[in-house]
Amino acid sequence: MNGAIGGDLLLNCTDMSVLERQRAHLKYFNPSFDSPLAGFFADSSMINGGEMDGFLATAGLNLPMIYGETTVEVDPRMSIPLETTLGTGNFKKRKFDTVTKDCNEKKKMMNREEVTEGEEEEKSKITELNNGSPKSIKKMKIKAKKEENNCSNDSSKVTKELEKTDYIHVRARRGQATDSHSIAERVRREKISERMKFLQDLVPGCDKITGKAGMLDEIINYVQSLQRQIEFLSMKLAVVNPRPDFDMDDIFAKEVVSTPMTVVPSPEMVHSGYSHEMVNSGYSNEMVNSGYVHFNPMQQVETSSDPLSCFNNGQAPSMWDSHVQNLYGSLGV
Amino acid sequence: MERQIINKKKRVFSLEPNKNPSAVFTRKYTSHLVPALKKLNMNKNSSKQTVKHEVDMALALSAQEFPWSRFLLQKLSSSSNPTTTTSSSSDGIRILERPDKEGGNEEGGIEERLRELKKLLPGGEEMNVEEMLSEIGNYIKCLELQTIALKSIVQDST
Repeated sequence: MNGAIGGDLLLNCTDMSVLERQRAHLKYFNPSFDSPLAGFFADSSMINGGEMDGFLATAGLNLPMIYGETTVEVDPRMSIPLETTLGTGNFKKRKFDTVTKDCNEKKKMMNREEVTEGEEEEKSKITELNNGSPKSIKKMKIKAKKEENNCSNDSSKVTKELEKTDYIHVRARRGQATDSHSIAERVRREKISERMKFLQDLVPGCDKITGKAGMLDEIINYVQSLQRQIEFLSMKLAVVNPRPDFDMDDIFAKEVVSTPMTVVPSPEMVHSGYSHEMVNSGYSNEMVNSGYVHFNPMQQVETSSDPLSCFNNGQAPSMWDSHVQNLYGSLGV
Repeated sequence: MERQIINKKKRVFSLEPNKNPSAVFTRKYTSHLVPALKKLNMNKNSSKQTVKHEVDMALALSAQEFPWSRFLLQKLSSSSNPTTTTSSSSDGIRILERPDKEGGNEEGGIEERLRELKKLLPGGEEMNVEEMLSEIGNYIKCLELQTIALKSIVQDST
C-alpha cells in the first residue's frame, strides 16, 4: 500500500516497517485519515498571526520530541494537516481505542496509548520525511513482545500483524534505563507534560509559571472562575429573559469595529471567518497575565470585535459589568 | 473563508459556517439555549435552577464530541436539580484559601491538584490522568465560548 513511500525514503528496514505498519493501521481503521479536520479550536497561537488552526495546536510543541527525535525544523503549520492537534487527536484516539480494543483482547492500556501515540509519531514523521530531511533517529520503542519486524511490504500482512498484537515497539533512549516499566513510566510522564504544555497555552497567565503544581493551580482557578462566571450569567439570564422577538441572527452578526482589542477567547471566534482579515491585521497579542484574566474579556467584550455581540459601539460597560468587576475584584486580583 | 458585508451595520457573515468548530459550537449552543429560554419564559417558571439547567443542557448538547459532555448529559437527565457547577464553587473557595497547604510537598501537591481538577470536570473522576488533562482543555474552550454566548444573550435582552 505504501510501497511508494518506502521507495522514496531511505530509511532502514526496521523503521520502514514500523512506519508502514502504523500507516496501514491508520488507513485500515480510518479511511478518511487523509482528510483531517482542521482542528476544533484554534488556540492562543492564533494571535501570533493566524498561522495555526488547530485545537490546542502544538504550537511550539513537537510531539515527536517525546520519542527522542529532533524535529525542531518541522514547521508547525506543516504538521497541522497531519492532525497533531490535541482535540481531534483525542477524538480519533477514542475511535482508535474502541476499534483496537475490539481487535485485540489482551491489550494493555499502556500499549493502546502507545498505538495512538505511535500514530501521532508516525504522522509527524511523515511530515519530517515530506520535508525532505530524514534523520537516523533513535526511536523509542517498548519491547513488549517478540514480534516479527520484517521488512514486509505486504500491506495485508502488515494489517493482520496490527490486528493481532497492537504493541508498538519502542527502543530505549541512549543512557537511560531500559527497564520496560521505567520506559512506560517515562512515556506516561512525557505525555502528561505534553498535555500540561497544551493547557499552558490555553489558560491565560500560565506561561509565567513554571512547575506543574503552580500551573495546575492556575488551571483549577481558571476553570472555577469560568464556571462561576457562567453561573452568574445564567442567574442574570433568569432575571432578564429573552424578548419574544429575539433575533438569532443578531447573535451571529458581527460588528466591524475599528479598535480591536485582545480578548481571551475571541481569536478563536473571529477566526471563524466572520472577520478574517480584521483579526489578522488588528490583533495584538497582549495577553494580560493577571491572575484572573476573565476580568479582561468582560471589560473588553464591550468594545472588542466580539462576533456575538451586536452592540459594539463602544458603549460604556453596563451596570452588571461593574457588579461583576466588584465580584471578581473581591477575589483579590 | 469568504465574508460578505451585508448592510450598513457591517454585519459579517461567513459563507462556510460549518468549517470552524468554535463557530459551530456557538451556533449549536445558542440554538439550543434560546428556544429553551423562550419556553421557560412563556411558562413563567424561570427560577435560577431551571435556567442553570437549560444552560448546562445546552452546553452538553453542543459539545457532544467530547466525553465530558456525555457525563454532563447523564448528570442533567438524572437529577432535576443539577449542581454541576454550584458545588464546585464551594470547592473553589477552599482552594483559594489554602494556598500553602501543599506548598511543601510538590509531588503530593500535584496529586491533590489533579484530583481537584478531576472534580471540576464532569466525568473527570472516571478518566485517567492523561485523558482528563486533554478533556480539561476542551472543557475550558467550551466554557469560554459559553460565556461569550451567554454574555451576548444577556446583552441582547437588556
